[in-house]
Amino acid sequence: MNILYMILQGLFLLFLAPLIAGVVKKTKALLQNRRGPHLFQVYRDIYKYMKKDAVMSEQTSWIFVFTPYLVFASILGAGLMLPVFHPVSPWPFSSDLIVFIYLLTMARFFMALAALDTGSAFGGMGASREMAVSSVIEPALVVTIAGLAFKAHTTDLSKMVSSFMVNPNGIFTPNLLLLLVAFYIILIAESGRIPVDNPDTHLELTMIHEGMLLEYSGKYLGLMVWASYLKQLLLYSIVASVFLPWGITSDPSLIGGIYNLFFYLVKVVFIGVLVAVTETAFVKIRLFQIPELLFSSLVLSFLSILMEITVGGR
Amino acid sequence: MSWHNFSQEILDKFPGTSLFSRRGNEEYLLVPKTQLTEAAQLLTQSGAVLSTMIATDERPVYGVFRLYYVFSRDEEDRFIILVVNITEPDLTYPSLTPLIAAAHWYEREAMDMLGLRPIGHPEPNRLVLHHEWPLGVRPLRKDFNPALQEEGQKAGGGEHRFREVEGEGRFYVPVGPIHAGIIEPGHFRFGTAGENIVHLEARLFYTHRGMEKQAEGLDFRQGLKLAERICGVCAYSHSVAYCEALEKIAGIEIPVRAKLLRTIFLEMERLYNHIGDVGNICAGTGYAFGSSQGGRLKEAIMHHNQLLTGHRYLRGINTPGGLKSEPPASVLLELPDWLDDLGKEFAQFTEVLLSNPIFLDRVNSTGITSLEAVKELGVVGPAARAAGWSRDCRKIHPHAAYSQVDFSVPVYTTGDVAARLKVRIDEAGQSIHIIKQCLEMLEPGEIAEPLGHLPPYQYALGYAESPRGEDMHWLMTGENNTIYRYRVRSASYTNWPVVPLAVRGNIVPDFPLINKSFELCYACLDR
Repeated sequence: MNILYMILQGLFLLFLAPLIAGVVKKTKALLQNRRGPHLFQVYRDIYKYMKKDAVMSEQTSWIFVFTPYLVFASILGAGLMLPVFHPVSPWPFSSDLIVFIYLLTMARFFMALAALDTGSAFGGMGASREMAVSSVIEPALVVTIAGLAFKAHTTDLSKMVSSFMVNPNGIFTPNLLLLLVAFYIILIAESGRIPVDNPDTHLELTMIHEGMLLEYSGKYLGLMVWASYLKQLLLYSIVASVFLPWGITSDPSLIGGIYNLFFYLVKVVFIGVLVAVTETAFVKIRLFQIPELLFSSLVLSFLSILMEITVGGR
Repeated sequence: MSWHNFSQEILDKFPGTSLFSRRGNEEYLLVPKTQLTEAAQLLTQSGAVLSTMIATDERPVYGVFRLYYVFSRDEEDRFIILVVNITEPDLTYPSLTPLIAAAHWYEREAMDMLGLRPIGHPEPNRLVLHHEWPLGVRPLRKDFNPALQEEGQKAGGGEHRFREVEGEGRFYVPVGPIHAGIIEPGHFRFGTAGENIVHLEARLFYTHRGMEKQAEGLDFRQGLKLAERICGVCAYSHSVAYCEALEKIAGIEIPVRAKLLRTIFLEMERLYNHIGDVGNICAGTGYAFGSSQGGRLKEAIMHHNQLLTGHRYLRGINTPGGLKSEPPASVLLELPDWLDDLGKEFAQFTEVLLSNPIFLDRVNSTGITSLEAVKELGVVGPAARAAGWSRDCRKIHPHAAYSQVDFSVPVYTTGDVAARLKVRIDEAGQSIHIIKQCLEMLEPGEIAEPLGHLPPYQYALGYAESPRGEDMHWLMTGENNTIYRYRVRSASYTNWPVVPLAVRGNIVPDFPLINKSFELCYACLDR
């Protein structure tokens, strides 16, 4: 049963991720008075990559081939920890947020290695930037999670959701709202969006995440792109189930699952639209100001923790 | 000092110098090789600016190669041209580059194309013809025969050597010549220390088209088609510069109506370029609002270009002597109202832009060019005016109907991306102002004056202020209404060398933004 549940959730997230990416793209296009690509264009792109031959530099080692599989698997694994159909995630032994973060970090580490592996200038630039940015993202993320843990008295995602869903309006406490803002900044940075990174640029010199993928082609590129959409969805999902705990029931029946699923979709699409609006309204900041932005996230989380300790979040 | 006195001073001071010829506002002085440097020094000290240099092969007619250094005396709308004869077998001449940095590309190009060697040039490397070209090929020589060049000639020029970067943690970052997106070829070699750019070397001229060679022997009406195709986005400025040179040689004055209409079209070209460029600068910062608004307004202007002339890029409307056809009266009638609306929309757009703190943070103090560098390299157009050099070809050498209209030349002093952006924004406003004045002055009348038969071996300058700055053309006629030598110095040609200077000290991810703020054209180099 548990295995079926896992397979179901894994497949569901995999096939939902491109759609959400499509929603963001479409919303952005509409906000810019463009018609934009079809909502399903992202699926077609991934399908196209999967069919194509991969061209690989002679300079590459096994890391280059190994990385797309590892990235894809670790992000998909992280996805299984999320409560989607039910507040308790399908991952049998743990849905600890710390594990979740480090699965994503492992993917990032190998991505940077693979980018360096080709020896191309853009890969190196992308990798060094990604590492520089992530060295600030990580502490910010850990402190945000610490803030959540203080509130829910656990770092386990399933337990966190279970404790927040009892009283959804409990989100309207100052310290949780601060954490939400802090997490949203991290979400923007982690998913490589403006003002931190520009996912739609063709200017190699400005790229961060895309810079690391430049040498990839064919199915390897397909896996990497798909994994990055999946990662984006996972981040949205955390916001959806932890910070917006409405419309979640612990009813284990089919109806309960459909209920949870429906509200999950509504929330995730809403977040996608919000991200698109942010991306349209903002200008990409100077590279050296990214740490400042992320530090502001760190400070917000600290404030929230202080609040929780001193006044108990009220 | 009046202009006659000035050239007289040169003639008096250098006994070997003689008055060579005179046409309109151009005075040609024949200077012996040995006195070239001193004469040029006198000119630059008086504030004259080196505008262009032309190298010709006049052996079939006069038995010599000739160099024409064109100096502009801005304050009196005059050109003093120093002419140097170079006689075989000694094909060397003293380089002016150590004295005038702006001469560096001119002299290198003359070396590639004609084999004339500047002695004392600090960097006498190939420029236009890359190292893949066989040694000893001099395409602009009259005895150059492409058919003979095919056989047995291997690339003999060695290899291009980029400047070395040294020190720990310093790397090369090679970019291009093939880029992502639809951009012309150009290779940029960054020397970086982390994200900081230590130096940048730009290697351009990848797609040399041999247009100047192609023009030789062509009928002057055919030559116009070539001139209009030098560049996509400055097609009309090039076309006007070409026609003005011919009209000067023919000694005719084109009808007032044609002058006014040409002014209108030149400003339409400036409008669509400047507004589109403002959008492009936004794209460089990832500002979606800005790039889509810029694109939308540009499209509207180009649509009006089509309504006015039948061509979105304003090609095919000019003819030597005037214009080919009248723009539709109905379009001219509704143009002022449309311009008012455009001006309002653009003002709204730029207001949003210039009140966005993150956007301003990106453009302020990014990619600074100093006034000294700009003057030394003879930079033209918005790039020069953004660094505090108030120099506009429309004011200093009025062409078309610019002497009859009232407009101001916006100047900023910071020399950064923001200044280049603001110069464009202000100039767009001035363009609307100029077009409306021209429309008011427009009276029914002739739009073209026949050129007649062109006298052979006569030459003149033609120029126009394009959206990127002054385009300088020089034309020499041959027998039977043909072109003997056609030399084009576009605005991008003088402005490219300043980009690496502006980039130095900035960070790598800001390069696309800085580059876009100059908005230079690669095709203008690949003539």
